Amino acid sequence: MLTFAEEIMLLMLDDDGVFLPTRGGAVEYILAGAVLMDLAFANRIDNDLEQLTCLDATPTGNPILDQALAHIANTVETKDTRGWIETLAGQETTEIRQQALARLIEHGILESQDKKFLWVFRARRYPTIDGRVEREVRLRIADVLLSNDIPDPRDVAMICLVDACGFLRDIFSAREIERAAPRVEQFRKMDLIGHEVGSVIAEIERSVMMAMAISPH
Amino acid sequence: MRAPWRLSPEDAPLKIKEQTIDSVVVVSLDGRVDGSTAPDLEKYISGVVERGNARILLDCSKMDYIGSTGLRVMLVGARKCQQGGGKLMLCTLRATCKSVMEASGFLTMLDYYDTRESALAAP
Repeated sequence: MLTFAEEIMLLMLDDDGVFLPTRGGAVEYILAGAVLMDLAFANRIDNDLEQLTCLDATPTGNPILDQALAHIANTVETKDTRGWIETLAGQETTEIRQQALARLIEHGILESQDKKFLWVFRARRYPTIDGRVEREVRLRIADVLLSNDIPDPRDVAMICLVDACGFLRDIFSAREIERAAPRVEQFRKMDLIGHEVGSVIAEIERSVMMAMAISPH
Repeated sequence: MRAPWRLSPEDAPLKIKEQTIDSVVVVSLDGRVDGSTAPDLEKYISGVVERGNARILLDCSKMDYIGSTGLRVMLVGARKCQQGGGKLMLCTLRATCKSVMEASGFLTMLDYYDTRESALAAP
């Protein structure tokens, strides 16, 4: 099974393997939230509205997760979920991104290609070589949002990340988005980590809008 | 000295009791539903559904804490009950737990009743 970070990285790439723009351009917060979600689903951490605690510091075997887990376990200061999202986003997301891409390449889902443009500049792309996983993720999200069934918590968390990225419009038609909107609104609150990721991204978006509104022309 | 990040078992006991009333399995929770106890609750609910009882009422009158892991377990339990043709109901949440479940939107997803009697009388 792929981690949340790996699944969301897959959705961040377009058909040519180029990263799509995310809401607020704040990929680091998405990835930090994804790692915390994986630790929560592995029963290593728990959180409520006030704090995030380490339950079990035993390594998971996944280097991305274990680095963050060790950081949380060795920190005496108590932080809430947002505090940990901000901490991990500030310190560890380059590694999270690189390791998630490396694992997707290792699984045979992506490949790495270096291309030159204007004969000088190098650009790395990650085209998909096995699109089944990405299609399965998209289908799962569509199934959950367009049905009335009680969702699996893992799907709720993933939908929070996809929504925070602003990618739901890539999965659904305008009419489907309208139909799914009440359920998306409900899911935004249901995963406490996903909810915080969404709040951080929304704040960044608002700050950017305000800065643009008051900047001199 | 205990590391401050680890919840000790004595802080997180969860006692689970069960009785069947009119084909509803009433599961009474006494204590914390957190990361250390939630897996036991998940196994318990799964066990009840596997015994063929998919209509479960969680009496939360003595549940004094619920964290993210506990919320997920309730969702998993509700999903299993739905798949088994029944439903998972909750009743009598204490104010602190009710505020967590309200803030996280779980009370609109799950069937919640203020009293055990109203839950048992539900269709």
